[in-house]
Amino acid sequence: MLEISNLSVSYGGLRALTDVSLTVAEGQFVTVVGPNGAGKTTLFKTISGVVKPASGSITFFGKDLLSLSASQRAHLGIAHVPEGRQVFKTLTVRENLEMGAYPAAGQAAWARTLDRIHTLFPILHERAGQMAGTLSGGEQQMVAIGRGLACAPRLLMLDEPSMGLAPAVTDTIFERVQQIHKEDGVTILLVEQRVAEALELSDHGYVLETGHMVLDGNYETLLADDRVRKSYLGLT
Amino acid sequence: MDIESLIENVANALTAGVTIGCIYGLMCIGLGLIFGIMKVVNFAQGEILMLGMFASLYLVTGGGVLAFLGPYVGPFVGAILAGPIIFVVGALIHKFLISRVSGLKTAGSIDDGHFGQLIVTLGISLILQNGGMIVFGSTPFTVRTPLSSSAIEVGLGIGDASVFLNKAKLIACAVAIVTALALYMTMEFTRIGKALRAAADNPTAATYMGIDVDKYYRMAFGMGCGITAIAGGLMATYLSFGPFVGFDYVIIMYSGVVLGGIGSIMGAFWGGLTVGFVQQFSALILPPQLQNAAIFIVFLLIVLLRPQGLFGRSAERA
Repeated sequence: MLEISNLSVSYGGLRALTDVSLTVAEGQFVTVVGPNGAGKTTLFKTISGVVKPASGSITFFGKDLLSLSASQRAHLGIAHVPEGRQVFKTLTVRENLEMGAYPAAGQAAWARTLDRIHTLFPILHERAGQMAGTLSGGEQQMVAIGRGLACAPRLLMLDEPSMGLAPAVTDTIFERVQQIHKEDGVTILLVEQRVAEALELSDHGYVLETGHMVLDGNYETLLADDRVRKSYLGLT
Repeated sequence: MDIESLIENVANALTAGVTIGCIYGLMCIGLGLIFGIMKVVNFAQGEILMLGMFASLYLVTGGGVLAFLGPYVGPFVGAILAGPIIFVVGALIHKFLISRVSGLKTAGSIDDGHFGQLIVTLGISLILQNGGMIVFGSTPFTVRTPLSSSAIEVGLGIGDASVFLNKAKLIACAVAIVTALALYMTMEFTRIGKALRAAADNPTAATYMGIDVDKYYRMAFGMGCGITAIAGGLMATYLSFGPFVGFDYVIIMYSGVVLGGIGSIMGAFWGGLTVGFVQQFSALILPPQLQNAAIFIVFLLIVLLRPQGLFGRSAERA
């Protein structure tokens, strides 16, 4: 469904991504791992349209994404849960979810998705009237994921959902992400630094280093690779 | 001064403060909306007020479109209709000028476009003032209504003391309150209002939700201009104005918005109300030339004691 080929992005002459290609098929769980500064967030921002690429192509269900503005892309069913959560701090939890449901598909499915979001994250129901900025980091991450789900996405992109969270909270988040994938059948593209957990969940993994895709394959393939074992998993 | 006339003076200052304050409040909301949502400092807001006054004037007397409504209803309908007209003017100003130095175009640049905005809005302000001079001339105008020279007298029950309520100001105040309430409901409860607040809170995240931030910014700018224009139309019923009237009021607007707490749209209403109150009360003890000084003394005191403004609050977790 998502097809990225030979994508290059630069920031003022600085290459952030070079010739990156990536494919996500419908129903898949795909993870991109890599160290800080590898270009993972840039990759996501380019898919959402906030960053413009220098060359390459991105298609979603055969549609050329690069010809669409950033805000139009969300209406195709691409939900971006950004790095650092980026909830609407001055809006209530409920209003955050409502804004997630801004595209037509989200509005049509609103009653059902709201129910589902509350089942996955009961705390959001309790905190419905509270301003999102007053929540803890973990709760804000739940708002961010819930907001992503609210648009009834065909592709859910999660950018480091574990960032800055306590290990126990991260476990919950990973569990919910897995539930969203398995039970709701949502296709997921995940960027993570907690490599072991992330790769274990996914059907296919990519390793991004300093803007280059250096490796890709399924869990077993990646696990068999020496570099991945040493640099990311701490195994010998 | 005997006690009876003192009570009368205070009561009159009180009612004048509330009526004028509500109109100032509406005027401030316009500026507060633009700053709160787009973070654009608009120096031309005083001239937008002036345009609102002239729009109302031409609707009521000049073009005579509303002549059939008579001198009682016409001026107020004219004031309300100045809103949508100046909304369009504001949206056009945004499309061709402001959008080039604000929003996603300058997001992430060193100054977030503020330097450009200062120069552009100051330039618009000068062009509108002097353009107004060419088009409208310098003779003062007013949107005449017999209501501005008649008052309701309310006895206070203490001797002969009574309060005079100017009818024009009273109706203007009511229209201002209704308009402010309508805006409040729109911002709080409608999809458009929520999307506007989301675009203000975090433009990038709003884009991820599929919200066309530039379109909403244009709407916010137009709305901010339209709201101030309605206030201008209302003020035009009781004061005389010319192309340079904006300068006096832009100061009041900025004090109101800062008092209410920068970024708080409804806070701007209370800020404007406070300014109106202070202005009318200072008239009791100070000569008219010092009224603006009184506003700034109260302003400095509040900023000293509550730098976040009267109604500014933080949504951040401590």
